[in-house]
Amino acid sequence: METGIILLAVGFFLLGGSALAAFFWAVRDGQLQDLPAGSRVIFDDQEPIGEVTDCFPDKRSRSAVKQLMKS
Amino acid sequence: MSAATVAAPHPSTRLEVLSSQERYDIDRSLRGPLLIFFGAAIFWLLIGSILGTLAAFKMNYPGLLDSEAWLTFGRMRPAHLNVVAYGWASTAGLGVAIWLMARLCRVPLRSPKLIISAGLIWNVGVLIGTLAILAGDSRSVEWLEFPGYVTPILFFAYSLVGVWAIVMFRFRKPGHVYVSQWYLLAAVLWFPWLYATANILLIWQPAQGSAQAAVNWWYGHNALGLWFTPIGLASAYYFIPKVIGRPIHSYYLSILGFWSLALFYSWNGMHHLIGGPFPAWMISAAVVASVMMFIPVLTVAINHHMTMRGNFAYLKWSPTLRFTVFGAMTYTLVSAQGSTMAIPALNSLTHFTDYTVGHSHLGLYGFFTMMMFGAMYYIIPRLTGWEWPSASLIRWHFWLAATGIVLMVGTLTVGGVIQGFALRDVEVAFMSSLHFASPFRYVRTLTGIILTAAHVVFAVHFTLMLLRAGEQKKSPTLLATPNKELAAV
Repeated sequence: METGIILLAVGFFLLGGSALAAFFWAVRDGQLQDLPAGSRVIFDDQEPIGEVTDCFPDKRSRSAVKQLMKS
Repeated sequence: MSAATVAAPHPSTRLEVLSSQERYDIDRSLRGPLLIFFGAAIFWLLIGSILGTLAAFKMNYPGLLDSEAWLTFGRMRPAHLNVVAYGWASTAGLGVAIWLMARLCRVPLRSPKLIISAGLIWNVGVLIGTLAILAGDSRSVEWLEFPGYVTPILFFAYSLVGVWAIVMFRFRKPGHVYVSQWYLLAAVLWFPWLYATANILLIWQPAQGSAQAAVNWWYGHNALGLWFTPIGLASAYYFIPKVIGRPIHSYYLSILGFWSLALFYSWNGMHHLIGGPFPAWMISAAVVASVMMFIPVLTVAINHHMTMRGNFAYLKWSPTLRFTVFGAMTYTLVSAQGSTMAIPALNSLTHFTDYTVGHSHLGLYGFFTMMMFGAMYYIIPRLTGWEWPSASLIRWHFWLAATGIVLMVGTLTVGGVIQGFALRDVEVAFMSSLHFASPFRYVRTLTGIILTAAHVVFAVHFTLMLLRAGEQKKSPTLLATPNKELAAV
């Protein structure tokens, strides 16, 4: 029983410690400031906000999506 | 700990441009490894569907295929569970996680051989484990039926991916860490912890008596909540805004949802053991934590709904969005259902009935599997540089899968409630409760066939894709990155 429990205890503190470290790092690094900026990082010049990036592989769907994007 | 130590500018000022070329390089570097992960996952999905459907048939016709020991229900059912959990869901989940991690860290894969080896070793482990279960060498621990010699194989293969993901994160391009990355990093750290703890306390140095059941359900439930759920949500948080081209409604809610999931989920498992021989505080804590899960679930539900608002028309035209939104809606439903099932008054009705079976399929299929389908429809064309060959095959896949899972969960839920009332009634004999459930189980078998058909359609389509039956991708916006000009650069 002993070794297993010791391993688990060590693992627990490592995991818990890394969660705390991650949280404090996030605060210090400014990750939790200006949250709206965070939501925009997945867009860029070539795939900007407003650009639909997926559609069925047929002509009808492509033109429908283009129509929708314009409106 | 951080890559951005020296006087890093404020996150909003260091948004850099992710060029098409960069995206193309990343997808290109992931092509081989991820096609192995996705191909293997689809293979296991087919095997798992067949095993599950056969097991369902045996509920209707107990004498069916009982001549050979390996074809009996007692082996087929755990084989089904482990094949779909480790063969399909984990393999597909790892593939999607690797792709999202590389794209969000904006770093190409520099060690494809490492990831390819991890994929191969993982699948060898799943194969050995499945054959062992069918051969009768199974551990009677639900979710961990693979025998002890498979554990190190899976653990090693997993560690290669896990360590790679952390290294990738360490060397990411500077910028804001997106919410999907938080979920993925957490999943990458949670899974080895869960898997190792369960193996230490159940196999290596087994806990005594009823404590084994506590560990078992701590693991079983957390595998869903802290392994599959974060990968599924990471996927939803990326693909919904990315496909419709609109940032997530409230980034604040998404972060709140992440940290509250981390706080409450790991307490939930004990609600499987309500009424069992455990200290009251353990069960109470699990019930309270299960109800507290409404917080992370509502943050996700509100967020995704508000992001989609005004954009529901795209569901008709985007395969990824269709599968992902189906998964996201099911996530809300299945989580709310799970929270209510933990309330002892309702639990006493649904426990030990088909209601629970319906619930788990709603979670692993309606939520997670649909989410993975959505992600794969987005990722695979970008890996191969080819369009999906057929729009109608995608539509067939979606409608078969959606009809199958809705019908399956619907019948199991209604049948389970009837079964539960019959079990509770002292006037009703136990056998009668099974007779009440029986007609619903016929329909469930039918839904198994429908879902298997959906998976055959998907597997055929994936194969056609590999054979390059579609057209080469060139449209600049809808399927952006790899076009000829870029490839030539």
